[in-house]
Amino acid sequence: MTAEDAARTILNGLKAAGINLIATLPDINLAPLLHEVEADRDVIHVPLCREEEGIGICAGGYLVGKKCAAIMQNGGFFNSNNAIVTTLLQYHIPLLLLIYYAGDIGDRTFSTSGSMTEPVLQALGIRHYVMREPDDAPELIKRAQILAEDSKRPVALLLTKESLGRRASIKSL
Amino acid sequence: MKRFDCLGIIAGAATDTLVVTSAGAVTLEWNALRPSDGNFRVRTLGLCSSIALGMALGLPQRKVIALDGDGSLLMNLCSLPTIARMHPKNLVHIVFDNEVYEASGSKQTATATGTDLVGMARAAGIRQALWTHSVDEFARIVTEALNGHELFFIGAKVTTERTEVPPYPMDEVENK
Repeated sequence: MTAEDAARTILNGLKAAGINLIATLPDINLAPLLHEVEADRDVIHVPLCREEEGIGICAGGYLVGKKCAAIMQNGGFFNSNNAIVTTLLQYHIPLLLLIYYAGDIGDRTFSTSGSMTEPVLQALGIRHYVMREPDDAPELIKRAQILAEDSKRPVALLLTKESLGRRASIKSL
Repeated sequence: MKRFDCLGIIAGAATDTLVVTSAGAVTLEWNALRPSDGNFRVRTLGLCSSIALGMALGLPQRKVIALDGDGSLLMNLCSLPTIARMHPKNLVHIVFDNEVYEASGSKQTATATGTDLVGMARAAGIRQALWTHSVDEFARIVTEALNGHELFFIGAKVTTERTEVPPYPMDEVENK
């Protein structure tokens, strides 16, 4: 699947799960997905300056009835930890986190971030699932959103490079 | 100016408005003045403006007020360009600037040495960003903001004086 098709598949999965507010911060591997999010008229797209503010924006959206998702790199997840703990977890607020898994097996960048990602999620008690195939996106997103709403906690999907499809135009880093 | 006096003016002008209050004494003072299901108390320092932005985007037909502090906003300055970029016309962002981390031992914040939060808001792209210099002026601007249809950022330099009020009556999950 191309990156563009993967991006559309993931966004359609988010919309099918009822997501209607998406906060994002770019990573080059997320660029096609964010392009789709930006172009979509059905979802409110909030481009962020720092990921932690996105946790607050999504929490506020939830409080007034929106279904929210935040898309970021794992570095941004690390940036967001205080907000995740003292807002999402403390208030029992669900949020779907789509985290690009930089430093995953086979990746030539951010191996330290990659090594810390799942342990930190685990330490926070955040259920997380690794997505390796774009075809899996709709089902995984649907189930993750159900889990988030049922548990009233954040749930993370770790998006590996291959889950975001083949990139035609940009040489892999 | 005294923060409690300013809050009293907002309470008089904002009947059913959703109000998000920053971590700190402002939450307790506000809740004593206007107890309501429409109040949300923020526990993450800095996140007040972002949570209010999310509410404003999600409910564009309702006014949302953020009651922020200087220490809080300084921790999340990037919310200013994001608010400016999204430009919700139903958001009124009010900052009470007492130049100290009041809830954390009253050490000075950067506004004590000249950082101008209204100037930063304006530079971020919020056109209606202004300081108010008296309680009367604050009342006039808040009334204009609540009755209008425009994004506002309102600054008020206040004293560090706290008003004795009861403790917050609920925990976080009850507040949600």
